[in-house]
Amino acid sequence: MTDRTENMLLVGPGLLLLALAFLLPIFQMLSLSVTGPSGLTLLNFVNFLGDPFYLGVLWRTIRLSLLITVICALIGFPLAYIISKVGSTMRLWLIAILILPLMTSVVVRTFGWMVLLSRSGLIPQVLQGLGLAHRGFALIQTETAIVIGMVQVLLPFMTLSVLGVIARIDPVLEEAARTMGCSFLQTVRTVVLPLSLPGIIAGSLLAFTLSASSFVTPNLLGGARIQVLATSIYNSVTQTLDWPFASAQAVILFAGIILTLIPYVRLMGDGRG
Amino acid sequence: MVKAVPLPLRILARVFVAVTVLGLLAPLIVVVAASVSENQYISFPPQGFSLIWYRKVLSSDDYMSAAALSFGLALAVTVAATLIGGAAAIAIHRRKLPYPQLIGAVFISPLMLPTIIYAIGMLMLWSSMFGVVTVFTLWISHTIIATPYVVRTTLAVLSDSDPFLEEAARTMGANRLQRLMLVVVPQCLPGLAAGAFFAFNLSFDEAVLSLFLRKPDLTTLPVEIYSKLEFSPDPSVAAVSSIMIALTVVLIIVIDRVVGIKKFAST
Amino acid sequence: MKPLLKAILLSVLLVEGGAPIALAQDKTLTINSFGGAYEEAHRKCVITPFEKDTGATVKIVTAYSADAFAQLRAQKTAPQYDVIHFSGGQEIVAAKEGLLSPIDATKLPNAADLYDFAKANITKGEGPAYSIAAIGLLYNSQKSPKVPANWKDVLDPAFGDHLVLTDISNGYGMLAFLMLNQVQGGDLNNIQPGLDAVKRLLANGAVVVSKSPEIQQQFTQNEAWLAPYASDYAYTLRKAGLPAKFVQGAEGTPASYITVNLVAGRPNQDLALKFIDKSISADAQACFAEALRYTPTNSKTKLSDEAAADVAYGANAVKGLLRFDPITVEANRAAWVKAWSQTIAK
Repeated sequence: MTDRTENMLLVGPGLLLLALAFLLPIFQMLSLSVTGPSGLTLLNFVNFLGDPFYLGVLWRTIRLSLLITVICALIGFPLAYIISKVGSTMRLWLIAILILPLMTSVVVRTFGWMVLLSRSGLIPQVLQGLGLAHRGFALIQTETAIVIGMVQVLLPFMTLSVLGVIARIDPVLEEAARTMGCSFLQTVRTVVLPLSLPGIIAGSLLAFTLSASSFVTPNLLGGARIQVLATSIYNSVTQTLDWPFASAQAVILFAGIILTLIPYVRLMGDGRG
Repeated sequence: MVKAVPLPLRILARVFVAVTVLGLLAPLIVVVAASVSENQYISFPPQGFSLIWYRKVLSSDDYMSAAALSFGLALAVTVAATLIGGAAAIAIHRRKLPYPQLIGAVFISPLMLPTIIYAIGMLMLWSSMFGVVTVFTLWISHTIIATPYVVRTTLAVLSDSDPFLEEAARTMGANRLQRLMLVVVPQCLPGLAAGAFFAFNLSFDEAVLSLFLRKPDLTTLPVEIYSKLEFSPDPSVAAVSSIMIALTVVLIIVIDRVVGIKKFAST
Repeated sequence: MKPLLKAILLSVLLVEGGAPIALAQDKTLTINSFGGAYEEAHRKCVITPFEKDTGATVKIVTAYSADAFAQLRAQKTAPQYDVIHFSGGQEIVAAKEGLLSPIDATKLPNAADLYDFAKANITKGEGPAYSIAAIGLLYNSQKSPKVPANWKDVLDPAFGDHLVLTDISNGYGMLAFLMLNQVQGGDLNNIQPGLDAVKRLLANGAVVVSKSPEIQQQFTQNEAWLAPYASDYAYTLRKAGLPAKFVQGAEGTPASYITVNLVAGRPNQDLALKFIDKSISADAQACFAEALRYTPTNSKTKLSDEAAADVAYGANAVKGLLRFDPITVEANRAAWVKAWSQTIAK
C-alpha cells in the first residue's frame, strides 16, 4: 500500500458520504433556484440582488456574524487560556458550565433569554433602575439580543477549539520567554497567541458559518422585524412556499460565507505551514 | 506559571471568568426556575414551588421515548462522525491529497447552508430513491452536519503536532496501522474528543432535520419539545431542559471520575 | 480499516432496526396532527372512535400545517401521509400541485350535513373544512384599560406598547391583518391602508410576534393587553389560568378553516375517506368545539350552552363569518409578506 492509497482510504468514506448524502440532495435543491416555469432563469437572483430590502438582510447577516465571531474570539481565547492554567477541579467545572448551554434545547434556552431581555425582564429593568434606559426599553427583538443569544451558543465551540490547541503548547516555551525577560502579557502575545492561532481560526470558522446559517435563535430573539437570511429562507420554504426563491437565497448565503471566509482560509494555510 | 502572573491581571481574570459564567448560566437559571412553577404556563419569576412538571415529564411516554431515540441517535452520530471526520482530517493534514483546499472546503460545506435547505433536499432525494424515511435517514443527515466539527477540531490540533513523529516511527519499523493507531491517533485525541462532544450535542439538539425527516414513531426530543410548545406550552418543557442540565453535570463528573477530565478536554 | 468496518456494521444494524413497517398497510393510516392539547382532543374526538369503528390503526405525526406541507411537497414521489390537516390555506396550493386527490362527495355520507362553504372545492382536491377558528380580539380582562369591541379599537393609542400584532407569515396573523386593512378602507387589491396603520401602531410601541407561544409569553411576561388572534388560542390561554378573553370585532369575524385532505398517490384511499368522513361528523365536531372552542362546520352539530357561547353556532352565526377569497390570498401571499416585512423592518 502506498501513502496515497492510505490517505485516500482515510478520506474516502467521508467524501463518498458527503457526495451522496449531501452534495447530491443539495445540488438537486439548489438547482431549483435557476429553474423557472419555462426553463432556466436567473429571475430569483435578480429579484434578490435588485432589491434593497433583501440586500439589507444579506448585509445584516454578514455584519452580525462577523460581530458574533469577533466577540466569541475575544472572550474565548482568554477563557481557554485561563481554563488551561487552573487546577483540574476548577477546569472540570468551567468546562461543564461552558457546555451546559449546549445540552439544553435551543428553543428553551432562547426562552430564558427572552425572559431576561424582554420589557419587564431582568436586564432592561436593572438598566431602567440605574437610569440608563427609558421606560418600555427592551432588548428583545433587537440586533443586540441576537448577538447575545448567539454568543452564548457559540462560545463553547470557540473556547473548546482554542483549548484543544492551547493545552498542547509546551509549557517550556512560555517559561523560556519569561526567563528571557518577557512580561506576562508579552509572553501571551508572542508565544501563546501565535501558537493557538489554529484553534482560534478553527473556532472562528465554526462560529462565523454557524451564526450566518442558524435560524432558531435569530428568529426568536430578533423577531419578525429583524430578519436575517436564514429566517428569510425559512419563511420562503414554509410560509410563502416559494422554494426556488428560498434556494436562490441559500446560494447567495453560501457565496457570501465563502467570500468572507477566503481570507480566513488563506490564513489557515499559512498557520499550518 | 500562574504565580508569575501580575496581581491585577489575576483579579481581572477572576472577574472575567465570573462575568462570563454568569452570562452563560443566566438563561439556564431562568429555565430551571420556571420548571418548578405552580403556574400552568411558563413564567419567571416562578409562582410557588411544585414538582408536578417533573412528574409529568418522567411519566410521559412521549418524552421518554423521544429522549431514548435522541440519545441513541446522538451516540450513533458521534461514533460515525468521529470516525469519518477524524480519518479525513488525518489525511487532509498530511497534504498528500490532490486539491487539499477543495477537499477541506467540501468537508465544512454542510455548515454553510441553513439546515432547512438540506432537510428539504434530503427528503426529496430520499423519497424519490427509497420512499419513506427511516431512522437511517436521520442518522446519515445528522452525521453529515456533525462531521465538519470533528474535521475542524482535529485539524486544529494536528496543525501544531510534530510532523516527524510519524517519520520516526516509520524508520523504527512500525507498519502503517501501528503508525496510525499508536502515533497519529494519540496526537489527535484532544481534537477528536472535542469534535465528538460537539457531534453529540449537535445531534442531540438538532431540530430542523429531525422535524422534516420525520414519520410516526420517529420523534426526537427537540421535536417533541417544539411540538408541545404550540398548543400546550406548560412548564414541562422547562422541566425537560432542567433534567438535561442535571444529566450533563452528572455525565461530566462521571467522565472525570472514570477517564479524567484531562483526557477529555485537553492533554 | 477497522473504523470503516465498524461504521458499516452499525449502519446495517440501524437499517434493520429502522426498516419501514410496510406490512398491514391496508389497515394503517398516517396522518398529521398539531400537538399538545389539540392532539389530545383530536385523538378523543376522531382518531380513537375511528379506530374502534374500523379496526384500523392511525399513526400520528405531530406537524403544523406549514411543516406538514413542506414534507408533503418534498415527498411527492412517495408521500407518507394518507390524510393531512391544514389550517393555513395550504390545501389550495397542494390541490393545485396535484398533491391531494379530488373527493367524490358520495363517498362521504356526512358531507351532506356540512354547510356549503365547507365543502365547496372538494372535487378540486381541497378537502372539507371540519372546524373554523374565528379571528377576533383577544384581550387581558384584568389589565386592559378598555374592553375592545371593534377592530377599529386596535388603532386606539391607549393600547400603546401593550398591543401585540402577529406576523402575516402566520395564517391567523394574515387574516387579522387583512381585517385591519379592511376597516382602514383597504381591500384585497390594496393593502396599503393596512400597512400604513401597522406602521403607526409600531411607532406607538406595538410588538410583533410570529408564533402562538410568543403571544402567551407576551401575556405572562410583557403585560400584553390586546392581540388580534384566534378564539381557540384565547381558550388555551384561559385554560392555563391567564385572564384572556375573546370578542368578535363588530365589523366582522374572519374565519380560518381547518381542513382534512385526501393525499394523492396512497394505496388505501377508501379507508382515508372513512377517516375524513369521521372528522366531519356532527359528533366529532361537537367534541372538538367542547374541548377547544372551534366553530363546527356541520349543521347538525349539537353544543352545550357554554361552548355555544364561545363559538359561532348555528347557520346564521356562521353566515356572519367572513372569508377573504383564498385564491386571491394565495396569489398575493408572497408579495404581501414581502411588503409587510419591509413595513415592519427596523
